[in-house]
This record gives sequence, structure tokens and C-alpha cells, in this order.
Amino acid sequence: MKKQNKKATPRRGKLGMDRKIFIVLFLAPTLIAFCTFYLYPLVTVFFTSFCKWDYTNITKPEFWDWDQLFNNYKYIFETYPYFWEALRNSTVWALLGVFFQIPVATLIALAFSRKVRGVKVIRNIYIIPCMISSAALGMIFLQLYSPLYGVVNPVISLFKPGYSENILLQKGTAFWAMTAAYIFFTGTTTLMILGNIMAVSEEVREAATLDGASGLKQDFYITLPMIKNTLKTVSILAATSGFLLYNEVFFLTRGAAGTYSISYVIRELAITSPRTQFGRANSVAFIQIIAGMLIILFVNLVYELPSLWKRMVGGSK
Amino acid sequence: MKKSKLQGLRQLPVGTRIVTIFCLAWALLVALLPIVWLFISSLKSDPLARPGFQLPESICLDGYISTFRDLHVMRYFGNSMFIAIVSVTISIVMISMSAYVVARMNFKGKGLVNMMLATTLFIPPTALTYPVYNLINRLGIYNTRAALILIYACSGIAISFFVIKNYYDHVPVELEDAARIDGCNHIQTFWHVIFPIARPGIMTAAVLAFLNNWNEYYWASLVIIDRDKLTVPALLSTFTTSFRTNYNGLFSAMVVIILPPILLYCCFNKFFIEALSGGAVKG
Repeated sequence: MKKQNKKATPRRGKLGMDRKIFIVLFLAPTLIAFCTFYLYPLVTVFFTSFCKWDYTNITKPEFWDWDQLFNNYKYIFETYPYFWEALRNSTVWALLGVFFQIPVATLIALAFSRKVRGVKVIRNIYIIPCMISSAALGMIFLQLYSPLYGVVNPVISLFKPGYSENILLQKGTAFWAMTAAYIFFTGTTTLMILGNIMAVSEEVREAATLDGASGLKQDFYITLPMIKNTLKTVSILAATSGFLLYNEVFFLTRGAAGTYSISYVIRELAITSPRTQFGRANSVAFIQIIAGMLIILFVNLVYELPSLWKRMVGGSK
Repeated sequence: MKKSKLQGLRQLPVGTRIVTIFCLAWALLVALLPIVWLFISSLKSDPLARPGFQLPESICLDGYISTFRDLHVMRYFGNSMFIAIVSVTISIVMISMSAYVVARMNFKGKGLVNMMLATTLFIPPTALTYPVYNLINRLGIYNTRAALILIYACSGIAISFFVIKNYYDHVPVELEDAARIDGCNHIQTFWHVIFPIARPGIMTAAVLAFLNNWNEYYWASLVIIDRDKLTVPALLSTFTTSFRTNYNGLFSAMVVIILPPILLYCCFNKFFIEALSGGAVKG
């Protein structure tokens, strides 16, 4: 420590001044990053969602007149053909995140927490798909679903001889085929849950075992309530990522057969469409941001419901 | 050791045992099925002739040879590597600095800074598509690697921030006091005392960020057009056209593309697992 002091003599000024400079200096880069990537775009999204702004006036967004302020939203709700489909799909994916992915991830995490031989190997293998990008997984599933050389059609033709359709082009099956392409890969979530399960102290478990609660019973009544906060956080993350799904849509169907997602709508309106509609894209984006907040509220509510219910029942007694 | 572990399963109640076995089997199936199928298919000279899980008649490696010879995959790995490493370095240095200030010092507006960074966790990045795209264009870095580095360095602030701050909270304050008495100023204290001690936490955040940036597709496909600047995930979307009927080539190229992260993981799985589980699970 002494040696370094000789190299750079510490500032002799007031320590308070020193501190201030230090704080500003160390915070500045992150704050600048926050402003460029989050704050400025957020503000832009909000204001331009009330602007006429499309391929005809790329450099000059103009506010709609007061009486037509919600024109973009009106267009999105009433005229744009894919919005409601996209909202429905994204919402279903968000719900599946909370009510399917998290329970499955938790059950697998519980299985991984048992002291059984070979469990480590299986755990390590289960993480592998999460190391691959979702783009690559989407691409792999596109091949799996191929009617020419995939594995899904041979299975279907066991039940329906001669079936040769592409399930990604059929309404109904396309949605579920796409869902199946991402929903089972919960490796990172499982690990986060497992990390918390393992952190629950061994003494608590032993005490529970002595009280006669072992196996799943112990998990559901002792372990899981102790990691409720983590479950809540991963539920929010799962719901959000389900709501934001884009890569799977792009790689598997490009929105065909009723599989639009909100993110896909935004990108189509803002970038890919030949007649870009920036203002309208930003209205959808604003709706997406609001929906993100609603998801947080919703998940919190789901996790508070049991205790609320208890309190109500307890209060009436 | 072996015996006690085997007893572990037998000690469980019957219901739990069945559920456990089912879950483990399911995990194995889900993780392996797509990848094994892809690998088998890549060895078939004509996947159309032997669809599904049929084994190849003879092993055909033409696809792999042409992947390296004609596709120049190494170039795309280089792009991905470069972009991921530079952006992770920038964001981790930046965030470990500000997380330290927020974790250890009191100042006006600390709550605000905390809240701002927390909200970024829940702002959907896809909602910011057009403003960010526009910004990149106006900065004149559209279709350059710098654009992606900028985006990756600025996005994902929240997760790194909380992982690192959480780690600082566990570093005893006495260490800094000692350094201060020895005559270190704030910057020296941070650089010579705190940064080395918090390295495991910072590495965790770096690994997570690296994984995210390496696999990121949305922005990569948005801001880069030139084929020779593409990252690996963005390259994938060109496959459907470039391999129109050459299925053997397509499968081989995909195997080559998913192999590096898998190999990296196989070598360092201990590290990844500890990082992802917050250090509580030993690899």
C-alpha cells in the first residue's frame, strides 16, 4: 500500500471535495449509459407515440392536433390487423411463463437438490440449451418441424397416416409448436432457484425431517415458502421474457398462421415494413412498457394472494 | 460415499421418488433431444432420404468441410468474440465503479440512482427499438461493430449492477478504513483493495453479461447489414437462403455454430454453474 502512495500522492485538498469528485466520476459513465440507452429512448417513445411520424416525414415527427392526439393508438386498436392477435399471443406466453415455466423449473430444481447419484451430470446437461442462443434454438426447431426431414411429422403420422402438412403453417398448431420451441428450456431459471434451495440451511431441513416432513411435503411447506422472493423475481423475469418473445417468431413463422408477438409488431412497423410507421410503432412500444409494469403488479398479486386469503379467512373467524 | 448417495433416493417417500426420477428423465430428454437430433442429421449425406431419428447409412463429413472452407465461420466467431469482450469490459468496469459508490457512500439522490437502475430491469428493450435504431443512425455508426458494442455496453445494466452491489455489501467496511488510514485516497482504495476482493462477484456479472451478448440476436440483426460484420446469431438468419437445398451443409454449419459455447461450458461448467446460482451450488 505504501509503495503505491509514493507513485501518486493523494490529493491534499479537502476530503469532502475529493469525495464529491470521486462520486461524480464513478457514477457518471453508468448514468450516461442509462440516459442514452433507456431514458432518452423512453421519453422519445412516449412523445412520438402522439406524433404523425412515418416514411413520409422521417426526419420531422409532428404532433397530432389536440383532437386527434390518440390517432396512432386508434389506428393500432381499430385498423392494424395484427395488434390484438399479437397482444393475445404475448399475454398467453407471459402467463405460461408464470404458470408453466416456473412450476416446471422449480420441480426440476427440487429434483436436482436431492442427493442422488448422477444428479450433477443431469444438471450440467440440462443447462446446455441455455448456453446456445435462442436464435440457434429457433433454427434447430425449424428443422425439427420440417415435414420433409423433421421428427415431428413422423410422430404425427403414427396417429394420422399420410400427414404431410407443415405444422408451422397451420393455425393453432403453429402457436403451440412455437411455444414448445422455447418453453422447456428453463436451465438458468432452474439454477437460480436451485441456488436458493441450497442456501436454505441444512438445519432447517433436518428439523423438518425430524418433525416427519420429508421429500416433497417438506419442500412445499418448508423450503419453497422460504425462497418465495426468489420465485417471485424469476416469475417476473419469465413472464417478461415470454411477453417480449421475438426471435422464435422470426425464425419459425415470421408471424404466419396467427403467431405475431408484440415485439414482432413493433419491429415490423418501425423497421421491416416498406412503409415504416415510427409513430405507430412507438405507440405499440408504449403499450408494451405499460404491459411490462402490469406484469410486475400481476406477479406480485399472485404471490400475495395466499397470505391475503389467509388474512381474510382468519379475520372472519 | 457411493452407498450413502444411493440410499438418498431410497430414503425419499415413494411419491417424491417417482416425481424426482420423472423430473430428471424429463430434464435429460428436453436438453438432449434437439441437439442429438441435429448432430445425427448433420452426418447424413441426404437427410431427406432418412428423416427423423433414423441413423445415417454412412457418415458424411462434407458439410463440416465446406462449413470451414466456404462459410468462413471463424470470421463470425471473431466478430462475436470481439464485440462481446469489448462491450463486457466497458460495462463491467463502468458498473463496478458506480455500484461501489452506491453500496458504500451516502449522497443526495442515491435513492434515485438506485431506482433508475432498478427500473431498467423491467423496461422491455424491444420497446426501445426505433429510438435506439435512430440514435445509432444519427451517431453515424449504423452498420459498424461500434454500434453493437454501444448497445451491449449500455443494456443489461441492471443485472450486473445488482450482482456486483450485492457482492460489495459483503465486503467488510474495516478493510477500507484500514486502507484510508494507510493514506489511500478513494480511487486507490477502490482499485487496490475493493476491486481485487470483489473479483468473484464481478466475474459472475461478467460471465452473465458475456453469455447474453454472445447469444444476442435482436439488436445484432437490427444494426448490422454487411455480411462480414455479422455476429454468429445474426449469421443464422442468412442460412435459410444460403443453404436452400443443401441440408447436409445446413445441419453441419449449425452444429459448428452451437459447438463453441457448448465446449466452453463443458470445460468451465463449474464456473458457469456457480455464477448462475449465485455461488450457492458447487459445480
